[in-house]
Amino acid sequence: MKYMIMMFGGIGTTLENRTPDWITGMQDHMMKLDQELRDSGELVASSKLIDPSQAKTVRFQNGVPVPTDGPFAEIKESLAGYWIIDATEERALEVAARVVEYTEFPMEVRQVMHL
Amino acid sequence: MTAHDFEDLLRELTPQVLAALVHRHGQFDACEDAVQEALSDAVRQWPVDGVPDNPRSWLLTAAGRSLVDAWRSDSARRRREVMVAALETSAEVAGQDDTVLLLFLCCHPALSPPSQLALTLRAAGGLTTAEIATAFLVPEATMAQRISRAKQRIRTAGARFELPPEAERPERLGVVLHVLYLMFNEGYTASSGPELSRADLTAEAIRLTRVLRQLLPGECEVAGLLALMLLTDARRPARTDSAGAIVPLAGQRRDLWDAVMIAEGVALVERTLGTGPIGPYQLQAAIAAVHDEALTADATDWPQILALYDVLVQVAPGPVVTLSRAVAVAAVHGPRAGLAVLGTLAGDDRIMLGHRLEAVRAHLLEQAGDLVAARETYSRAARMTASLPEQRYLTLRAAGLST
Repeated sequence: MKYMIMMFGGIGTTLENRTPDWITGMQDHMMKLDQELRDSGELVASSKLIDPSQAKTVRFQNGVPVPTDGPFAEIKESLAGYWIIDATEERALEVAARVVEYTEFPMEVRQVMHL
Repeated sequence: MTAHDFEDLLRELTPQVLAALVHRHGQFDACEDAVQEALSDAVRQWPVDGVPDNPRSWLLTAAGRSLVDAWRSDSARRRREVMVAALETSAEVAGQDDTVLLLFLCCHPALSPPSQLALTLRAAGGLTTAEIATAFLVPEATMAQRISRAKQRIRTAGARFELPPEAERPERLGVVLHVLYLMFNEGYTASSGPELSRADLTAEAIRLTRVLRQLLPGECEVAGLLALMLLTDARRPARTDSAGAIVPLAGQRRDLWDAVMIAEGVALVERTLGTGPIGPYQLQAAIAAVHDEALTADATDWPQILALYDVLVQVAPGPVVTLSRAVAVAAVHGPRAGLAVLGTLAGDDRIMLGHRLEAVRAHLLEQAGDLVAARETYSRAARMTASLPEQRYLTLRAAGLST
C-alpha cells in the first residue's frame, strides 16, 4: 500500500518563537527520517512546498477562472510538504508520529488510491 | 582509462563530430540525433572492446551510419544523399573551430533561454537527455520534448551552420556567453531542490567556456567570463558546512578555497583588463578576484570593490548589480548608506529580486543594530525563497535574533 504523509502550515507559523537549536534539531530530525525512508526503499516521492503565503488560488468568479494571491485554506492548514511511502499503514503512522513527537504539530496520513 | 576520462573524451569529441556532420549534410536536427546514437554505441562498446585508436573517426563513422539508417527508413527518395553520406564518412573530422559555430547555432535567438541551455548541453556538451533532465529536475520525456522542439525551431528559423554576419556577431556572442553564464549559475546555485550546487553543470560550463576562450582568444569578455567562473567556483568547498548548511562569504574558511583556480582566474583578469573594451563579465571577475585575494574577510579591499561596482552600474545597470553594489556601499560607508541604495530600487525591480532583496536588507538592518526589523525581514525572506538551503539559512538567522 502507498500512503501520503502530509505536513501543514508554513515556516512562519511552524517556526515562530523557536530557538536556533530547536530549528537545527528539527531539520536534523527530518533529514535523518528522510534518509531512513530512502535507504529502506520505502520512499516513493517527497517534496516540500514554498511557504503558503506565496500561494496563488484560482477561483471561479463571475463565470471565469480568476487567479488570486494567497492559499485556499488558512495558512496553518495549508499543505507544506509530503512523503509518499510504500509501506503498511502502521509504518506510515509510526513515521508521522516521529515527526509529531518533535514538532507537536498534527500530520495527516491517507492511503493513495489504486488506478 | 577511467570512467571519468572516458566521459571527458566523449564530451570533447561530441561537438567536433556533430559539427563535421552538419558541415557536410546540413540538417542539424537529423545529425544531432545521429551523434546521440553514436554516443550511446560508444558508451556500450568502448568499455568492452576498448577505446578505438582514432575515437573521433570511429564516432563519425558510427554517426554517419546512423544518419544513413535514418534516411533509409525515412524514404527512398533520399537514396542519392545516402550514397554521398556513406562515401564521405571516412573523411577528416572538422577542427575545434566548428565548436564555435555549434554554440552559435544552439544559442540561436529564436530559442528561449531554457531551450538554448538544454540544446547547448546536448549538442555541444555531449550530455544525454537523461542527464540534462536530472540536472534540471524535470522528467526525461519533458526534456526530450524541449530539445526536439528547439531543433525544429532552429530549422524553421532557417538558421545556418556558419558564423553570423559581422554586424550581428557581438550580439550573438553575447547570447552564447549568457547561456554559458546561466549554465554555470544553474549548477552553482540550484534554483530549486535540496542540493545547493550541481557540480556537473558548473564543470560543463567551465569546460565549454575554456574551449570558447581557446578559439576566440582576443575576446575580452570570454576571458572575463572564464575568470569569473573560476574565481566563483573556487569557493565552492567552503560554501556549505558538513551538514550542508549555507556559509556566507564572510564566514567561509578561506583555506578551503581552491588556490589553483584562484591563481588561474586572477592571472586571467590581470592579463585581460585594459587590453580591449571593458564588459560586465570582466568587471564581475575583477570583483571576485578582490574577494578571493583577501586572506581574511576583514582584509577585503571594499573601496576597490565599490569602485568596480560604480563602473559596473554604468556598463551594465540592473537590479542585481544595484543590490550587490548596496552591500559594497554598506561595507565602505556603513549599513544605513547601503539601505539607502536599496531604497532607490523601483517597484518592478523589487519584485524581480524577491527574497534576495529581503535577505540583503535583513543583513544590513542587523549590521545597523535594528534587530527587530532584521528578524522580521529574515523571516519574510525565508517565506519567499524556493530553495531549501536558503530557507534553512534565513530561518536560522531570524531565530538567532530572537531573545
